[in-house]
Amino acid sequence: MLCAVRGSGRTACPLARVCRNLLAFACIPALFVPGCSRAVDSSPTFKIEHEISPEPARVGPVTVTLRLADAAAKPITGARIALEADMSHPGMSPVFGAAKEVAPGQYQAQVTFGMAGDWVILLHAMLPDGKKLERQFDVRDVRPN
Amino acid sequence: MQVPGLGQLFRWRYARPLLQAPLLIISVVMILHGLFGPTLAPKNLATTLSWLHFRGVLVLVLLCAGNFFCLACPFMLVRQMARRFFKPRFNWPRALRNKWISVALFVSILFVYELFDLWSSPWWTAWLIAGYFLTVLVVDGFFKHASFCKFVCPIGQFNFAASTLSPFEVKVREQDVCTTCHTKDCIRGRRDPSSDLVVIRGCELALFQPRKVGNMDCTFCLDCVHACPHDNIGILSRLPGTELLTDPLRSGIGYFSKRKDLAALAIVFTFGALLNAFGMVSPVYAVERWLGRMLHVSHEAPVLGLIFTFFLILEPAVLLGLAAWLTRAWGGVRRALLPLVVRYSYGIVPLGFGMWLAHYSFHFLTGLYTIVPVTQSAVASLGWPLLGQPRWRLTGLPANIVQVIEVGFLVLGFAGSLVVTHGLAEDDAPDRPLRAFIPWATVCLLLWLASMWLMFQPMEMRATLMSG
Repeated sequence: MLCAVRGSGRTACPLARVCRNLLAFACIPALFVPGCSRAVDSSPTFKIEHEISPEPARVGPVTVTLRLADAAAKPITGARIALEADMSHPGMSPVFGAAKEVAPGQYQAQVTFGMAGDWVILLHAMLPDGKKLERQFDVRDVRPN
Repeated sequence: MQVPGLGQLFRWRYARPLLQAPLLIISVVMILHGLFGPTLAPKNLATTLSWLHFRGVLVLVLLCAGNFFCLACPFMLVRQMARRFFKPRFNWPRALRNKWISVALFVSILFVYELFDLWSSPWWTAWLIAGYFLTVLVVDGFFKHASFCKFVCPIGQFNFAASTLSPFEVKVREQDVCTTCHTKDCIRGRRDPSSDLVVIRGCELALFQPRKVGNMDCTFCLDCVHACPHDNIGILSRLPGTELLTDPLRSGIGYFSKRKDLAALAIVFTFGALLNAFGMVSPVYAVERWLGRMLHVSHEAPVLGLIFTFFLILEPAVLLGLAAWLTRAWGGVRRALLPLVVRYSYGIVPLGFGMWLAHYSFHFLTGLYTIVPVTQSAVASLGWPLLGQPRWRLTGLPANIVQVIEVGFLVLGFAGSLVVTHGLAEDDAPDRPLRAFIPWATVCLLLWLASMWLMFQPMEMRATLMSG
């Protein structure tokens, strides 16, 4: 018998007590939940467009074209841009590339995808006024050769 | 236990908490970094440590030593601390004293891993670890002894199955000493003579040392080592896999040949190894797209469900059933079909372990040094770049070198399975062992060829399986 009734009428149930204590313990992680929202870089100051060719991307070298513009859609020239491409799985070799300005506000870089699957490209840009800009975009479904 | 330093450490009563504490700290760091750190898996400690380093080190330690990860299990440290407040009152239900729940959880984790691409999500990885802690607390908060380890923990079952091939085992040194022992402290626990209270726990997994055979169900917790008043239990070397060759009555387990649940664990362990690797190569996406078109579904779950059903139920049923039928018909073995399947399913465990080793060591070795920049980045994100700027170009060993190691593991597993199945065939058909062996050798060959094929497929890692 799991529960016994005391003289006062309250149930002195070991199962209920254990449940209550465990529930209290189980609630601890819930404290983390409100703090778990992600910071999203939603700065409206800059506009970055990207394009990958070939499309869809394949294993091997691909060209990443970036167009940087300010809030007034004026091209941003003279930025220094470094790219880092990572796979969605940890432990895979990241690949790196530096973008060159090929037209005002338009930059191109070559990166070599070593494996099929989903890649994430991290963009680290240093703007002419010294501001740093970091963006991330997905390159899904890179096809095998 | 005779090794200077190591022997004293393991004999020390607090050796386990000492080993568990660092892993608990690492686990907490992983949870926090998974929840609050970078969202990109290769930059996060939760995903990097869980899916690269933990799995890689786990299988290599199992291969080279034994079930030392269960010994250092951080979940059990938290359980021990919690048991100071909650005293479990119930015995694990008799009907559930088997591996079915844990096998189902093992399959569920493999399924969830593929469905939600856990490797690519620090967030979900952190919650998986946190969920594990919670489950341990709930199960062992209610139920006495090591109910979670023995009947629930899917990682533990993985370790139990793999440790049947480990070179070390916790066992008695001299059986004669046990014969004359009256207190049986190794199972009952050492009691205080005046109060009769247990002061050093006996085996919580119901393994009575004098009748314990092999590593199945042994967490290397060393409770028996500490409880034995004769210092007659140690971590001793042995020939890996020998426990799969024989079928004696095992303490806390019974006969392997009568345990369908354990056979299911062996099957899931082996076929799951192939399935888990299959989920990371290009052909799986083609199969998924084809199945999606055939079924007119765009959601991954039903397609994945079909693949799992094929790999974990249909394929083993056909292969092992056919081999068992041939063993009866051709080898003249007088056993029913199902008991034959159960008996020989343990023979494929080395193959499965070879595949897990090949797969996990690939990720571990090719991404070996990634822990350095990820840790540097985590420390730097706290505002103190004490370890310097992250060196993201650090990765690991070249894939072509690791591939040689992978092939070595697969060959080792194949050889192990051939030895075990041959040993079982010799027992079953002493007059014509070859006839009983050939069907199982064929199954092993097929699985090995499949493993080799998988290893040489181009890898493809997606966080969106059904895309395209």
